[in-house]
Amino acid sequence: MSILSQLKRALPKNTVIFGSENTRPFECDGLSVYKQEPLAVVLPNNIAQIKKVIEICRKNNTPIVSRGAGTGLSGGATPLEGSVVLGFSKLTQIISIDEEKKIAVLEPGVRNLAISEAVEEFGLYYAPDPSSQIACTIGGNVAENAGGVHCLKYGLTVQNVEAIKMLTIDGEELLLTRQDEGIGLLALMNGSEGLLGVITEITVKLTPKPELARLVMAGFSSVRDCADTVAEIIKKGIIPSGLEMMDKFAIEASEAFAHPGYPLDAQALLLCELDGAIDSVNEDLNKVLGLLSNATTTRVSENEDERLLFWKGRKDAFPSIGRLSPDYYCMDGTIPKRHLATVLEKISELSAHYKLRVANVFHAGDGNLHPLILYNASRPGELEKTESFGMDILKLCVEMGGSITGEHGVGIEKLDAMCHQFSSAELDVFHQIKNAFDPISLLNPGKAVPTLHRCAELGNMHVHHGELPHPELERF
Amino acid sequence: MSSIAELQKQVREGKNLRITGRADNTDKEFINISSYSGVVEYFPEELVITLKAGTTIQEINNTLAAYGQALPFFTESLEKTIGAVYATSGPEFSDSVLGVQIINGRGELLNFGGQVMKNVAGYDVSKLLVGSMGRLALVTQISIKILPQRIAEQFQLKPPPKHKVSEIILNFESKLKKVFDPYGVFI
Repeated sequence: MSILSQLKRALPKNTVIFGSENTRPFECDGLSVYKQEPLAVVLPNNIAQIKKVIEICRKNNTPIVSRGAGTGLSGGATPLEGSVVLGFSKLTQIISIDEEKKIAVLEPGVRNLAISEAVEEFGLYYAPDPSSQIACTIGGNVAENAGGVHCLKYGLTVQNVEAIKMLTIDGEELLLTRQDEGIGLLALMNGSEGLLGVITEITVKLTPKPELARLVMAGFSSVRDCADTVAEIIKKGIIPSGLEMMDKFAIEASEAFAHPGYPLDAQALLLCELDGAIDSVNEDLNKVLGLLSNATTTRVSENEDERLLFWKGRKDAFPSIGRLSPDYYCMDGTIPKRHLATVLEKISELSAHYKLRVANVFHAGDGNLHPLILYNASRPGELEKTESFGMDILKLCVEMGGSITGEHGVGIEKLDAMCHQFSSAELDVFHQIKNAFDPISLLNPGKAVPTLHRCAELGNMHVHHGELPHPELERF
Repeated sequence: MSSIAELQKQVREGKNLRITGRADNTDKEFINISSYSGVVEYFPEELVITLKAGTTIQEINNTLAAYGQALPFFTESLEKTIGAVYATSGPEFSDSVLGVQIINGRGELLNFGGQVMKNVAGYDVSKLLVGSMGRLALVTQISIKILPQRIAEQFQLKPPPKHKVSEIILNFESKLKKVFDPYGVFI
C-alpha cells in the first residue's frame, strides 16, 4: 500500500491533502524563489494524529517537513522532494492562561499576535514580535528562535519559552522545562529548524504591559553620527525597548508609503523606544534627548497614535521598498554594533559593484542588519547576481565577528554561508547532534547544516589556523 | 599561566579528567583552569564581555562596575570562576550566554555562538552546554550579555530548585555526551 493510502486510511477525511493543485499553496515558504511539490500535506487535529503521521513516515522512510504559517524567510518549511508536510494550521488552541504565574500553554499553531490578544485583559502580552507576528505561529517561532524589534530588552524566543512538549522520530514524548536538571536541551530546541523533533505544545512567558511607551525619532546627517548615538545611549545605562536605524533609501521609501513624517533630508534615522513605569520612561527620555545634539531633527511621540505612526514607517519598510522594485532579497546578518558604519560603507561599495540598489534597515540595539537588495527576477542572471551580492554581505558579517543569520534561520538559503562561519569540526558537531535525535534523518533533512562535501565543493571554506580541514575529502 | 595549546595537550593525553576552577586543587586528574583567567574583550557599549573560563566573579564584577554594568544572573560566591558557574547553572544563566570556545574530548578547539545578541546559525551549543558539569567538554572562553547595574539587579534572584529529568532525557544527554566526548575523557 502506498504511503498516501496509509495516511488516508489512518487519518480522518480532509486531513490529508494531495495532488499538485491542492498542495501548491504549500510549495514554498516566505522565501518563494525555492519551490518544491511535496508528496502530501497532512493537517492533523490532535497529537494522536501527529504520532500516526510520524509512525507512517518512519515506516516508509519518508521525510517530514513541519510547517507553521509558512512565513519563514530562509526555506525552513520548503517541502523536500517526496516529503510529507506536517502543517499545524488546525492546532490553534490556547490551552490555558495563568495570569498569576504569567504563563500561557499553547498548541503550536497559535499565532504570535493571538497570544497577546488573548492575554490583554490581564494587562499582559507576549514580548517577541517578529514582523510577521500577525500570521506566524508560536511553533514556527520556537523552531526558528524568532526575534523582532524588542529583543535587546525582552530577549528572543528562547528567553521567553518556559517549556515545550515534543515528539521524537521514534514517537516518544519529551517534556523539556526551564526547571530541568542537566544540560540545556530546552535551549537547543529553540532554533533547531524542525531537524530534531516535532514540537506539540509550548508554554510561554507573558510580560506585564508597560505603563508607558514613548518613541524618539531623530534624523542624522551621517550614518556614523547615528551609530555613535546608539553607542552613547547604551553607555548611558539605558536599555531601550526598541532601537532601530534606517538609511536614506529606506527612509524615503517608508515615507512615500506610510507617511509617518520621517525627515527626508536625513542620511540616517534613529527610532528609540523607551517603555516601563511612567517616571523611569520620562527620566530615560530626558537622558536620550541630551545625547541628540548631533541630530538634525528630533521628535518625540506625544500620544499612542503618534508612537504607532512613527513605528508604522519602520514596520512597513519591507513592503514600502518592495513597491519600488519587482523583487527584493532580504538579508539577515548580525555584526558587533561598533562596526556598523564600516559595514554600511562596504555594502554601498558592493551595491555599486553589482549595480544593484540596496536599502538598509537595522535592529541597531542588537546588531541585526537587514539589507534589502532590489532586483528583477525576470532579467536573466539577475537573481544569481543578487545571491552573490548577498553572500558577500554575509561573508563581511562573519569577518566582522558577526553571524550570517540573526533571526531568519539557515533553512536551505544559507547552507553555503554556513561554510564560511563554521569549521568542518564544528559542522560535524551539528551533524552529530542531529544524529543523536534523528539517526534515520527524516526530520527536515538537509536543511540548516551543510554537508562537509558541500563546503569542500565551494572551495573557499572556513580555514582554521591555516590548515584546510578534512584534506582527505575530494574537492571538485 | 596555561595556554590553549597546553590545555589541548592535557585533554589529548588525559584520561578520567575532571575540570576545576579552584586554585588549590592540584591533583593530577584535575584540569585546573583557575590560571586560565582574565577579560579577553569588553565592549560596554555592546553590552558584551568575553572571559577566559578561570576568571572569578569578583574580577568580572570589578571590571563591569567601572562602567556601571553588572552580570544579569545569580552568583553564589565571588570566588567562583565563570567556568564553574557555566558548568552548574541552568536557563536563568544561559539566557545571557552568547558564545563559547571549547576543547572537546578529541582535543579540538571549537567555537559556537559569538559576541552578538542575535545568532541563529547552527544549533545553540553555547546554551546547550550550560549545566553540563564539565562532563562534555572543557569550556575555555565564554561571551556574556551584560546589563546596566540597575537593570541587571532584577535578574540576580536565586533560581528555584531544579527537577530530576526522565530516563528518556537522560538517554539523550548520554548520546550528546558522546558527540562532544567520544572517548569518555571527561568524568
